[in-house]
Amino acid sequence: MISILGTTLVLGGLLAAAFGAVVGIEGGLRHRPNALKIVLGAVTVFLVCMLGANLTMVYALVTHDFSVHYVSQVGSRATPLVYTVVSLWSALEGSILFWGAILAVYVFAFSRAHRNHPPTNPLLALGTMLAVGVFFSFLIAGPANPFGRVTPVPPDGPGPNPLLQNHVLMVIHPPMLYLGYVGMVVPFGIAVAALLRGQLGDAWMAVLRRWTLIPWMFLSVGIVLGSWWAYAVLGWGGYWAWDPVENASFLPWLTATAFLHSAMVQERRHTLKLWTVSLSLGCFLLTILGTFMTRSGVFNSVHSFTQSEIGPTFLVFLGVVLLVSIILIAVRGPLLVPEGNLGSVASRETAILLNNLLFAALTFTVLLGTVFPLVREAFSGVRISVGAPYFNRMAVPLGVAILFLMGVGPSLPWGRASPETLRRQFLVPAAIGVGVVLVCLVAGLRGGLTLLTFGLGGFAGTVTLREMALPVRVRMREQGEPLPQALWRSATRARRRFGGYMVHLGVVLVFVAIAASQSYVVHTTATLKTGERFQLGPYTVQLTGLRNGVDPHRRWTAAEVQVTDGRGRQHLLAPRMNFYERSTDPIGSPAIRSAAFEDFYLTLLAFDQGTPSASFNAWIFPMVSWIWWSLPLFVLGALFAAWPERRRARADAPEPVSVPGKAQSPGAAA
Amino acid sequence: MSRRGLWIGLSLAAVTAVLLFVLAKGFGRDPHEVPFQLRGKPAPDFTLRRMDTGAPVRLSELKGKPIVLNFWASWCGPCKAEHPVVTMAARRFGQDYQFFGVVFEDTEENARAFAGAPDPSFPQLIDERSRMAVDYGVTGVPETYFIDAQGILRDKVAYPIDPRTMMEKLAALKQPAGPLSEVVR
Amino acid sequence: MTAWVLGLVLASYAPQQAGSALLDPAREARVQALGKQLRCPMCQGLSIADSSSSAARAQMDKVRELVADGKSDPEIRDYFTSRYGEWALLDPPASGMNLLVWLLPLALLVGGGFAIARTMRRPVPAAEAPAPPTEAERPPSDDPYLEAVRAELRR
Repeated sequence: MISILGTTLVLGGLLAAAFGAVVGIEGGLRHRPNALKIVLGAVTVFLVCMLGANLTMVYALVTHDFSVHYVSQVGSRATPLVYTVVSLWSALEGSILFWGAILAVYVFAFSRAHRNHPPTNPLLALGTMLAVGVFFSFLIAGPANPFGRVTPVPPDGPGPNPLLQNHVLMVIHPPMLYLGYVGMVVPFGIAVAALLRGQLGDAWMAVLRRWTLIPWMFLSVGIVLGSWWAYAVLGWGGYWAWDPVENASFLPWLTATAFLHSAMVQERRHTLKLWTVSLSLGCFLLTILGTFMTRSGVFNSVHSFTQSEIGPTFLVFLGVVLLVSIILIAVRGPLLVPEGNLGSVASRETAILLNNLLFAALTFTVLLGTVFPLVREAFSGVRISVGAPYFNRMAVPLGVAILFLMGVGPSLPWGRASPETLRRQFLVPAAIGVGVVLVCLVAGLRGGLTLLTFGLGGFAGTVTLREMALPVRVRMREQGEPLPQALWRSATRARRRFGGYMVHLGVVLVFVAIAASQSYVVHTTATLKTGERFQLGPYTVQLTGLRNGVDPHRRWTAAEVQVTDGRGRQHLLAPRMNFYERSTDPIGSPAIRSAAFEDFYLTLLAFDQGTPSASFNAWIFPMVSWIWWSLPLFVLGALFAAWPERRRARADAPEPVSVPGKAQSPGAAA
Repeated sequence: MSRRGLWIGLSLAAVTAVLLFVLAKGFGRDPHEVPFQLRGKPAPDFTLRRMDTGAPVRLSELKGKPIVLNFWASWCGPCKAEHPVVTMAARRFGQDYQFFGVVFEDTEENARAFAGAPDPSFPQLIDERSRMAVDYGVTGVPETYFIDAQGILRDKVAYPIDPRTMMEKLAALKQPAGPLSEVVR
Repeated sequence: MTAWVLGLVLASYAPQQAGSALLDPAREARVQALGKQLRCPMCQGLSIADSSSSAARAQMDKVRELVADGKSDPEIRDYFTSRYGEWALLDPPASGMNLLVWLLPLALLVGGGFAIARTMRRPVPAAEAPAPPTEAERPPSDDPYLEAVRAELRR
């Protein structure tokens, strides 16, 4: 019953998407405005079918209906309810089904938001997005059908992957990533529409930017939560392993970030159009590639799912999307002629161009490093590894250069800067950057690259804060507004600017936190009998005993330790080893004592019930939690920037605050 | 289409073709497989202590019969299922082959509990600090290594071995070495 | 399958062997540095220094033993590549085809930098776009953005 219902819904979605895609693209190319109504209907049907199919699956999971193929794979009566619901996306077929639902929600939201636009653009964009919907509903209906019937019906199932039910972060991290991944389909649709029409106007560009910002935000959240999850669950003391799946989420984030910057140049200078649109296409291509990496079983990773049948289908889709993109860029791209030109060497345009170059190089490096083992094996049959040391060596200099540009770019005016402006703009931030390095040196901190990062962090942070504070000060001084009002007004009158700088502050924080936690980490291993203790930095660790426990879905052994920190406060920690029925090596749960400026991180390596004794890995990570605490800045900044401008502000004519490029010189716009 | 567009399109298409080719080649490969470079090379020598008698066992003094080495640990679930397979093979083919179990990353006490009563046809060896296991390129347990009568490491099975695979590998040990190991010798 | 699960239940409380004792700080630092470069065979992406899996622990003990025996870093890396192949090195050695993975990103940077430099020098299509505003055209001593803010305040 459930199987039939689910399959029917998926097929309905497939039909609706196919119909809407054909009508949309045909209507858009032939300029038939009344096609929009039909496409909007198709989008609604697609949404209803996809949401219905997902709810059907959740119902089957919660009621333990093991006659449904997917439930028999990931369900288990012993699994807690939360993880049962979450197992919707814990394995291959379910995650594709979930993809479909998010896709439908995005397409629907887009169709509602832009139905009042001149219809040609929305028609082409919706048609393209629905064409992607056709592929995904085809995957769900065919190669990755989760609704298959199982006979005889098994009494119970194995439960979801143990790694995925170890921490509550797993409940929110994957949906965030999916929202980021799938959301890139909207900019893709918009970009394809722009290329098909051979023009990209300002209004349509603003739409493209906003719809990139939203998935960008979700990707940021997904990536940061993913690293937090790795840190809190995997127990190796790190948060980023350059694992193929991590890289897969990082790649579209990089291109989307590059896009958000190059879009500013496109807006101010009406140039870089083809490049900007290509970045939009690239974001989507990389999310498809990323999904392929996670789902095909070709790549090896902590969380890649097992070998699967859908790989070849996915590869064909990837090939088709790549081909379409390339043809569009080659054939229609030259139509997007630049209507302006770039400024001089010392200008914000140049800084953003360099930023784009660095982001492109970083994207390429990460992509190359991820697929290179496959390249090597395909061409010479040798298995090699490209791991963290490679990525760090390549990415760290690029990252530091980006941090530097983050201070330089906002200080430079559009167009051209005189030497005097340069001096005025850079003197204080540069002095603060140098000051930070000196203070660190005096405090006894060493390490060239780390101190450089701190110094540049001080530099970029100062520039960002100054740029945020300047309009506030002008308002307070020249208009006599009180601080809160001045702050609020200057923020809301230039949402994108203010939001962007909030994100910049978050990025500075992440850079500093990564540098500190990587460079000044302290580590030791020790084996203790009950009552014995060891010392790491200011922390004293004493083993008080071993404790065993049984949960419905696992057994565990915890080492109970008493940790005394530098100020004499005592904390009870209990790093554990969990034994799941499905995995051979036990999976550790680290215990973390987190403070504002450092984390004490303890994992259980081995234990002996007889003696009793236990072996530990212990680390002190300075500032590591700042990486996760930067998250609100990313989210708030992105939301702030994406929030629609109020109508009133728009009616106030030429929108001086959010388009300073135009306001800066009436002569330039004439 | 402009010349520039054509040029951009063609170069992108070339990169795409390589990418798709490489990804397509990746199908069917097991991403978890770890290369085993010692195949066809002389087996590394070892001296290990027998768990039952405490007597030392030295590989270089064992020449004459093919050898089967089975690495296991008491904490490893799949090893439990595999252990009877190797034990049965050892009892049945003990005349023609020498079977040894090697305890991997485990305490002796637990290993004893796991192995049960000592079986003379399948003696267990204690590998302090897993030194010898890493010499053999172990990637985890259970793993089974096959050494021919000339002391050449011919093959390994990196998963719980089943009776059929065991029979095949044992038979292959009696065959003359393949071209690969000829070259090595 | 049933036996497998039963076995696990029995085995699940069995302790694993603890790692070997650390060396003196200088040599232990070498052990950890080498461990960071070697790939753990069970956990795949991680280094043996980072992983807490049994195989990684065994290999770290081996690295420690080889360092204690006075082996050099290249000798120790060779020890692992002769068993696990080039696969064991997380940092692909820069030789042969591997050079691509090291040089292509650099080539992209250089090529991109060249392209940007060329774009900056490209002549302005005079009909469509006027020359970029220069400092002189603007009110001399202030930021254009702040001018915009002031303009808005004046309204």
